[in-house]
Amino acid sequence: MKSILCVLLLCCSVIFAAQAQETNEAALKTWDKIYHVFSHPRCANCHVPDDNLPRWSGPSYAKTSVHGMNITGGQSRIGVETIMCSTCHAQSNADEPHGPPGAPIWMLAPVDMLWWQQSSSQICQQIKDPNRNGGRTLDEVAHHILEDELVHWGWAPGIGREPAPYSAEETADFVTLWAKAGAPCPQ
Amino acid sequence: MQLNVNGKQHEVDVEETMPLLWVLRDELAITGPKFGCGIAMCGACTVHINGMPARSCSIPVGQVSGQVTTIEGLGTPYAMHVVQAAWVEHQVAQCGYCQPGQIMSAAALLQVNPNPDDEAIDRALSANLCRCGTYPRIRAAVKTAAAKIRESNL
Ligand code: FES
Ligand code: FES
Repeated sequence: MKSILCVLLLCCSVIFAAQAQETNEAALKTWDKIYHVFSHPRCANCHVPDDNLPRWSGPSYAKTSVHGMNITGGQSRIGVETIMCSTCHAQSNADEPHGPPGAPIWMLAPVDMLWWQQSSSQICQQIKDPNRNGGRTLDEVAHHILEDELVHWGWAPGIGREPAPYSAEETADFVTLWAKAGAPCPQ
Repeated sequence: MQLNVNGKQHEVDVEETMPLLWVLRDELAITGPKFGCGIAMCGACTVHINGMPARSCSIPVGQVSGQVTTIEGLGTPYAMHVVQAAWVEHQVAQCGYCQPGQIMSAAALLQVNPNPDDEAIDRALSANLCRCGTYPRIRAAVKTAAAKIRESNL
């Protein structure tokens, strides 16, 4: 009797472990999609380090460089120290080819939210860390993706610029799904 | 639509998507701001909106709220703005085409930084192009204007 119980317990834990691994793998696949969005030039070009220099990269540009015209976002990340981003970036995209993109607010992401040239694992750790994600829970991160007008610009960047993959709604759903599965990060 | 330019209220009958520069030049005959590129790449069209610099070629007029100031409203030949006076002192202009934009950008910089070093000047004014290459004189004039502003603040 005792040995039957033991075998049963062993079977159950093997099944649970297999299920957990499956959930973990599915969650990591979901994270991959989120990383695909966050590392896309429409997002990463402005999630830059403390050099405060916006980047020009991706298929819309012949080569990767810092923003032309010697522009810096400064420590304010909105250019107030020298020339405000809003000097050229209006509240909407210019409809002229090579004209400036625009959104109701235009700024670099806070320096803690570094995505430029970061690995999947690094961005994953950052987005889960309230000290580096603007004090948000993952639910709030999903909400931010759904609500923020500058984030939305990533999917409607104006002529001549490749939009970020998926949509704001899909990306927010990915975050919710991944969070529910324990938000695992790749190694 | 109502538009306040250089302290004067104007009624303009235009599409909201028309660039502010078009409205200023073609509707109001305020021709200090110049057309260079039309895509915020040269700075010739720079004006202030509520004291902040803006490329008027790339701002739809429907997005403008508040006071627009052009080079004509910054100062006059008889009552020059400190930046305009420094420009005269250094005889900055060559052909002059880019200069309204240069002066408007410089005046905006000096409002936030009355003691800019070379790097700050280059950061703030590199997006104002000058085909005549007056950059060294622009830099010198910005420093002269900055010194005057600091003196008057003492
Ligand atoms: S005409 Fe506006 S920046 Fe060139
Ligand atoms: S003075 Fe001629 S373009 Fe600047």
